[in-house]
Amino acid sequence: MSSPFRQKLRRFFSHRTAAVGLSITLFVIIAVILGPMILPHDPEMVDFMAVLVPPGFAHPLGTDSFGRDVLSRVLAGGRVSFGISFAAITLAAAAGAMMGIAAGYFRGWCENVLMRIADLLFAFPSFILALLLMVLFGFSTVNIIFAIALVYLPIFARISRNATMLIREEPFIQAARLMGRSPGAIMLTDILPNIATPLLVQASAGLAFAIILEAGLSFIGLGVQPPTPSLGGIMADGREYFSRAPWVLTMSGLAISFALLGINLLGDGLRDLTDPRLRERM
Amino acid sequence: MSDTKVHLAARIATADFRQSLSRSLKATASRLASALLVLLVGSLVVFLTIKAAPGDPALSVLGEQASPEAIAAFHKEHGLDRPLAMQYLSWLGGVLTGDFGASLTVAARQPVSALLFAKLPATLFLGFYALFLAVAISLLLGTLAASQRGKLTDTVCTSISVFGISMPDFWLSYVLIYFFGLGLGWFPTYGYVSPGESLVDALYVGFLPALAIAAPMAAVFSRTLRAVLIETMTRPYVTAARAFGLKSGFIFLHYTFRNALVPYLTVIGLQIRYILGGVVVVERIFGVPGVGSLMVDGSFQRDYPVLLACTIVFLAIVLLVNTVTDSICTLLDPRRSR
Repeated sequence: MSSPFRQKLRRFFSHRTAAVGLSITLFVIIAVILGPMILPHDPEMVDFMAVLVPPGFAHPLGTDSFGRDVLSRVLAGGRVSFGISFAAITLAAAAGAMMGIAAGYFRGWCENVLMRIADLLFAFPSFILALLLMVLFGFSTVNIIFAIALVYLPIFARISRNATMLIREEPFIQAARLMGRSPGAIMLTDILPNIATPLLVQASAGLAFAIILEAGLSFIGLGVQPPTPSLGGIMADGREYFSRAPWVLTMSGLAISFALLGINLLGDGLRDLTDPRLRERM
Repeated sequence: MSDTKVHLAARIATADFRQSLSRSLKATASRLASALLVLLVGSLVVFLTIKAAPGDPALSVLGEQASPEAIAAFHKEHGLDRPLAMQYLSWLGGVLTGDFGASLTVAARQPVSALLFAKLPATLFLGFYALFLAVAISLLLGTLAASQRGKLTDTVCTSISVFGISMPDFWLSYVLIYFFGLGLGWFPTYGYVSPGESLVDALYVGFLPALAIAAPMAAVFSRTLRAVLIETMTRPYVTAARAFGLKSGFIFLHYTFRNALVPYLTVIGLQIRYILGGVVVVERIFGVPGVGSLMVDGSFQRDYPVLLACTIVFLAIVLLVNTVTDSICTLLDPRRSR
């Protein structure tokens, strides 16, 4: 039996980039979810008997200036960073898709207003906009999620508007309209599933950008605030005593690159598989 | 071709170019106007957002224990007791005459415009240096990868790009500092030399920070260039040109590359908003006295006039670069102006 879904699945796994990317991403997700539960060291546990211990058997990635286990902290911080980025991109995709589909479906003034809002947001440098929002509204986790979501919202809005415009005159949409379905139902059940693929591809690329953005904010001290661990925060710590204990910065940096590599390969693979012509345009 | 034919072709080409130039100038003017409109609306939105945010600028200057009288006096001094519309209009009026108000905490009572004037050159220099490096690297990697498609060179170039986008700029900064600064001792790891002082020194001292900003962008650019070049190579007109027996170098330059240039430039325009984010972090790491550092200082000290001014300056840079890349694209492809 070879259903279309199975065929797609087989195509996905025979695509080397996509398969490698998915494996790394899944590994990272499992590690940040399960890691903090399995590892013997609490990421917050201060141990002044084991300050700046180099990587070894007891601490695979060494310890920091408070004697905290770097591996535990990287995984706990990775969980926070991943969680924030995932929530932000999901929010951005949902809100952006709503905006874009409404703009593409209704056209007219609705499209004008919504897309001008998206254009305005899109004109701001991403990091600056997120930074400004964080400073103004406070450094809570929820605010970081909203700030990152707002930065990526216009990209999803543009993609879903363009995709909606392409299919809005298709017979199946016209049929739904003639059957008297409400615009809301048409947009949600007829349009959204048909434009989901480019959104998904963009979401995987956006996830990598969100992780970088969150880490950058936390790195300069204007993101996730201590004691909550975050990858950017751990790296900022490691920078302070880099010459004495280079492993803190190096290991957390390698960890973030590893995760980003997985997500980027996955995104590339998805893009390749779904539409090779769409590559690298956004 | 005979001489007259060449002459005629040249004249047609010149006339064509003139026509597309005038058309693209018109398009540029209208783009510039809409960019100014975006800047105006953007400034209003940022202004209102700052006003809507919790927290009183008086408290960030006078401290949390300030007396109500002192706060009221502060509000009166800075015009914060006036209606919002008045505050915005007077701010806007000031900006139009080059006055961004007075700094609150970063440099008490100093005009923000003086701070911007002092810091903007470093940011512009670093930004354009990074942009130049990113374009240069991506031209090399992207063209190499596309022309050697499927071969080892392609795999190497593509892998470099994937690793490039997986290195956040602040992390790459430290790798560069460690290897090329502290390890090999080739480059200084901190500080800034103004290009007005000595261009060679400025390029030398600014190399590591510019490279840290440029690398992730170079990765994105070269991936774009490779993809577009490969797409263009399969177009019928390239096949036709090859069938005519034109030299492959000529075909690449005049058919493939030229047509790949528009999407490539578009992506560069789109990526400016990320480059400027890199500028903020990297300026901080390398101690470059730029607008990015100023904005981070303003953020820590909640200096609202400084934050507002920096945001507007960054917004203006993005809009300007986008207008320029759009105009070049129209010049290259006149169909876009219609």
